Amino acid sequence: MKSRVILKVEFPHWIASLIKTENVIGIKAKEAGKFHFGKLRSSGELRLDYDVAVLPPKKYLQPPKEDLLSYNIASFKVTPSADFQPITIIGVHPYDMHGINQMDAVFSDENKDTNYLGRRKNVKIIGVDPVKASAWSFWHDMGTAYVDKGFDLWLTDIGDRYFIEIGTKSGENLLKPAKTESASKIDIERHKKARSGLKNICSPSRRIKTDIKKIPDIFRANHDHGLWEKRAKTCYSCGSCNLVCPTCYCFDVREDMELNLTGGRRVRVWDGCMLEEFARVGSGENFRKERSARFRHRFFRKMVYMKEKIGALACVGCGRCASACLPDIADPVTAINELSGLED
Amino acid sequence: MKPRIAFFDFASCEGDQLQIVNLEERLLELLQHVEVVSFREAMKEHSDNYDIAFIEGSCTRASDEERLKKIRANAKIVVALGSCATIGGINCIKNYRNQTEVRKEVYGDKYELFDTYLARPIEAVIKVDYKVPQCPINKEEFLSVAKALLTGQKPFIPDYPVCVECKMNGNVCVFEKGMTCVGPVTRAGCGSCCVNEGAICWGCRGLIDNPNTDAHKEVLEKYNLTPQEVMNKFKLYFGWSDTNAQKPQS
Ligand code: SF4
Ligand code: SF4
Ligand code: SF4
Ligand code: SF4
Ligand code: SF4
Repeated sequence: MKSRVILKVEFPHWIASLIKTENVIGIKAKEAGKFHFGKLRSSGELRLDYDVAVLPPKKYLQPPKEDLLSYNIASFKVTPSADFQPITIIGVHPYDMHGINQMDAVFSDENKDTNYLGRRKNVKIIGVDPVKASAWSFWHDMGTAYVDKGFDLWLTDIGDRYFIEIGTKSGENLLKPAKTESASKIDIERHKKARSGLKNICSPSRRIKTDIKKIPDIFRANHDHGLWEKRAKTCYSCGSCNLVCPTCYCFDVREDMELNLTGGRRVRVWDGCMLEEFARVGSGENFRKERSARFRHRFFRKMVYMKEKIGALACVGCGRCASACLPDIADPVTAINELSGLED
Repeated sequence: MKPRIAFFDFASCEGDQLQIVNLEERLLELLQHVEVVSFREAMKEHSDNYDIAFIEGSCTRASDEERLKKIRANAKIVVALGSCATIGGINCIKNYRNQTEVRKEVYGDKYELFDTYLARPIEAVIKVDYKVPQCPINKEEFLSVAKALLTGQKPFIPDYPVCVECKMNGNVCVFEKGMTCVGPVTRAGCGSCCVNEGAICWGCRGLIDNPNTDAHKEVLEKYNLTPQEVMNKFKLYFGWSDTNAQKPQS
């Protein structure tokens, strides 16, 4: 992969020039010490030293609510919605990049999702290696501390400068207004060192105590383990663990009719398999009525089924579900360790 | 023929009907599809011949029951509007107190002339077909229910907690900001509007159909609320519902 470096004194000028030419989304501070992706108005707003974003960048690829099509029953006209604005997202962490790569795989599977793919084509990604991790993160052990595809540019903080990996041609174009230099031997050394230190950023208390290759089998063998029932007792079925997850992609489709009662829109909105109505089918029957069945299902999706479907665990270790779950039952770390018999 | 609709109010602040009046031009657009035969908030005429009855307010006296039953008999579809009508709402706070004392407080020494009983949602008296919750109702949701009824569809009212909408909106959970709320057991549909504005969810849309109230009480205590404070959180809007908060006094 081609690489360049940019001095930190030059960096803000580059971001400022991107803001002038691109529709830039960046990682920014939110209230209570939290961070979120939002429209970047100045280079000073960018917080590449963040730990984790409240919501993963998937909200720009699969928005919480989006129009699929508009219709008019009087004229029998149906128009697909295809208003995909080009955007450049700055500050995506490796685990979230893995999340996006998984969504890419899912949505370009047998059933090609035109809305997702249409949007994805118009999204440029400038990723960054983390310098901090939230207290709940465990990406150090999920194989998601590094990422080698999906991005256009990737930044690594190496002291007074950023190391830049160039992933694509459009990434290279984004660099045009930047005052960059070729990477020296020392830069390459520092980059390697920063990379190898990445795994020490998550807290040691968040260790996965088993080999992650064994996870699917561990879960399969524990389909009837008491953990599901026990934890689900305090589950709200609030879906928070689904909705904040960078690899959850489920949605519900609804009709939104206009007041003239002839025109309307078909919209899709985020859904989640923890919600009670999720598994209700047309006949009214709910095939995962019990909280514990839904609770187990989510874990099996992450740790077993998606591995079979796309070849990767659908948990990238961001820790968002664990931090969002108020009864504190959604945490994959404690679940994996407990099922492996390695919980202390 | 256009469906005939009528509005009625019981113990309430009329805030829900005001929301409908506030629809302004869109109310006019809606009126092209319906005929309003009774609406105290906006007109003088009244008729007992209607298809859809929208009812605001709680039932708070035995004598209200007759009026409710008459509405039920006249209407093909009954829709409850707002917290008071759908879940009993804040009127039910009085249910936790001695009813004679409450009457004395409100009506003074003439209290015996005024009949009152435990405040309740209208569903406790008559069959209700659809419920538009919230205090006051959300204009958009009212329109979406009206549109569904006019096109013969089942109105969509979510049966999942407010947390869903909070997450969709990317909010920082109030529990991370040193506050607490009852959003995890409260029916969504408001777009988590109070949390979006920096407040908490008080539960005005009522409980979801299958709330895990025990789990939420545990969580609230874990976040340092006293059992009394937890109970007060549940009393505000869930008084009539089965919350185990405290058995109402008759
Ligand atoms: S596991 Fe936690 S976050 Fe997930 S639905 Fe249950 S209570 Fe909500
Ligand atoms: S099935 Fe559940 S775990 Fe899987 S993507 Fe859908 S919501 Fe997420
Ligand atoms: S399951 Fe939890 S920790 Fe794993 S990727 Fe999803 S939100 Fe992150
Ligand atoms: S603020 Fe309340 S409603 Fe929102 S996510 Fe947190 S608990 Fe749920
Ligand atoms: S956030 Fe809670 S209190 Fe506010 S409108 Fe919604 S349900 Fe009512």
